[in-house]
Amino acid sequence: MSFAPTDTLYVALACYALGTLAALLSLFVPAKRLQDAGLVLMIAGFAAHTVWIGVICTRTGHPPITNLPEAAAFMAWVVFAVELALWIRYRVYAASFFVYPLVLLLLTISAVVGEQFATLNPQLRSNVFTAHLLLTTVGVAGLMIGVAFGLLAFIQDRALKEKRRGRMWDWIPSLNVCKTVSHRALAIGFSIYTIGLLAGILWSYRTTAGLMDLRVKQIGAVVAWVLFGVLLQRYIAGAYRSGKTVLLSAGAFVAVVVAILGIAR
Amino acid sequence: MKTLLLVGLNHRTAPVDVRERLNIADAKLGETTNALRALDGVDGAAVLSTCNRVEAIVSTRDEDVIETVVEWLASNASTHRGELEKHLYILRHGDVVKHLFRVASGLDSMIVGEPQIGGQVKKAFLTAYELGTLDAILMQVYEQTQRVSKRVRTDTGIGEHAVSVPYAAVELAKKIFGRLRGLQVLLLGAGDMGELTAEHLHEQDVKQVFVANRSFERATELAQRFDGAAVQFDRIDEQLANCDIVIASTAAPHYLVDTHHVERALDTRKRRHLFLIDLAVPRNINPAVARIDGAYLYNIDDLQQVADANQGLRQQKAREAEQIVVREVEEFGKRLVAQDAVPTILELQQRLESIRAAELEKCLRKLGPMTPEQREAVEQFSTQMVNKILHYPILQLKEATDEPQERESLRRTIRKIFGLR
Repeated sequence: MSFAPTDTLYVALACYALGTLAALLSLFVPAKRLQDAGLVLMIAGFAAHTVWIGVICTRTGHPPITNLPEAAAFMAWVVFAVELALWIRYRVYAASFFVYPLVLLLLTISAVVGEQFATLNPQLRSNVFTAHLLLTTVGVAGLMIGVAFGLLAFIQDRALKEKRRGRMWDWIPSLNVCKTVSHRALAIGFSIYTIGLLAGILWSYRTTAGLMDLRVKQIGAVVAWVLFGVLLQRYIAGAYRSGKTVLLSAGAFVAVVVAILGIAR
Repeated sequence: MKTLLLVGLNHRTAPVDVRERLNIADAKLGETTNALRALDGVDGAAVLSTCNRVEAIVSTRDEDVIETVVEWLASNASTHRGELEKHLYILRHGDVVKHLFRVASGLDSMIVGEPQIGGQVKKAFLTAYELGTLDAILMQVYEQTQRVSKRVRTDTGIGEHAVSVPYAAVELAKKIFGRLRGLQVLLLGAGDMGELTAEHLHEQDVKQVFVANRSFERATELAQRFDGAAVQFDRIDEQLANCDIVIASTAAPHYLVDTHHVERALDTRKRRHLFLIDLAVPRNINPAVARIDGAYLYNIDDLQQVADANQGLRQQKAREAEQIVVREVEEFGKRLVAQDAVPTILELQQRLESIRAAELEKCLRKLGPMTPEQREAVEQFSTQMVNKILHYPILQLKEATDEPQERESLRRTIRKIFGLR
């Protein structure tokens, strides 16, 4: 039995699926071992995922961000890398309830949609285009983390105000940590995303003599940019506690997903 | 062959007037441990003394040493043996191990899961180790006790939730601010509970504690205790904006902190969180403050509810911890039994090996010249036969009960059957 390089994708998916399941189960069975098992599985998945990203780069000879499967796989990789860094710094378990399913979802999209080793259109071989893809992908990953921690801050604030512990009480770090991480992730993610979009507009102008086409991914990306901008402003004003902010986060998340799915078209 | 014994009393078996007579001051722990070790028949000794328990832990070859230890404890307490015996418990073998695992994990404490006892057990054994009164078996018990205690606390998180009002306040402050280092605290009034809460916060390395009281002298006196500063009572409003945590426990019959105070303070603080703890009855902080974004208000009942809920949680975790302890005791017992059986097993193997070698030699002489293959087959046959004969006796020795007398009886029988000295 031989092990094909593409198998690493499925190993990563299996580990992520089991890790997500273990993390979600810990909502009902509050055992630290279950959370730890989930984290170990996710790290194993991340290792396989890293190999998979390497395989894409080696096979195609370009960064893994030029089509939907590549971009989704790379975004999932960045999101988990950031989550892992935050776990090491703050020991935040609760983010796993949002981040693990998100990573699993993105990698699943990568596995089931489109050609995994598509050759790159020569027209797309440009530094500006690569910068556009890289920056928007990393920016979106940061924004996703920001939204996840914003939700944690919202849940924690409600629990403290209503003096009721939910299932996540023990897993969520302090309100200050949630707020600080969400602010920073949103601010950094938004800045990178903005530069990425500008690079895309520049590339579009150079190649098509227009600022941009108005297709699904472009509309999704711009709507997401506006919503994340408003969201960041609300966080700076301390409005993360309001229900409207949560709705806005959901809207921004949907717009990003639409933009990602739009890459396939 | 050595066995473990533990003689002691605790908060459940003895009233405080008995416990205080036996209690050993830190400075005398070494001397007392040496005295216990010096008793006739004691091979290894350690003494655990806390405000809730005094226990003498010994390893010995003679169980009758219990009598001597009880006498020794009675003389230490300057009381009659009969009087003391009513309060004592005596544990043997596996029960000693289980008891120590439970004690170090906080399962036998007055407040289940309290963390201090782990350190006290460690101190008792380390003192004994430094004095050289720990023998091999007690050393193993100590090491395993440390491991089990750590595992119980890590796996169940039994000590993580506060079960008193002041600690519940500290726990909530951590849920809001994370680390408390660098925060400023304002204590209004000099009520006992408020003082205790401020003390716990002070232990968490807060930057400064400000104290405001109707009597400025009393405020200054309290502030000195926390290395803080006294504040004039009519300047509370200004001080609110500088502080992250406010503890109110005055006897004032009206609200001292109202919504407009908190609104103003939060505006100055650029909406940084403000945690308000109202321990006073009648209340000192307007309950409407709880509705302001960024302000978290808990009164004495809220904190008591948190403490009660945590108590329930600890009980639940204690049940998980008990299961861990039972499993660990079983495994440790098996390991001790297997270790204990090693000398007999080795002797048994040597004895049968010497018989095998002698008989094989005779047999080979009788059989005359043989090819190397034939000789190897005969040797293999004799080795396999000896191994098969030894299989069950060795298994029995390894899996024997952890009750030393029964184990000794089994060992004697096997030695007798196989003619070991």
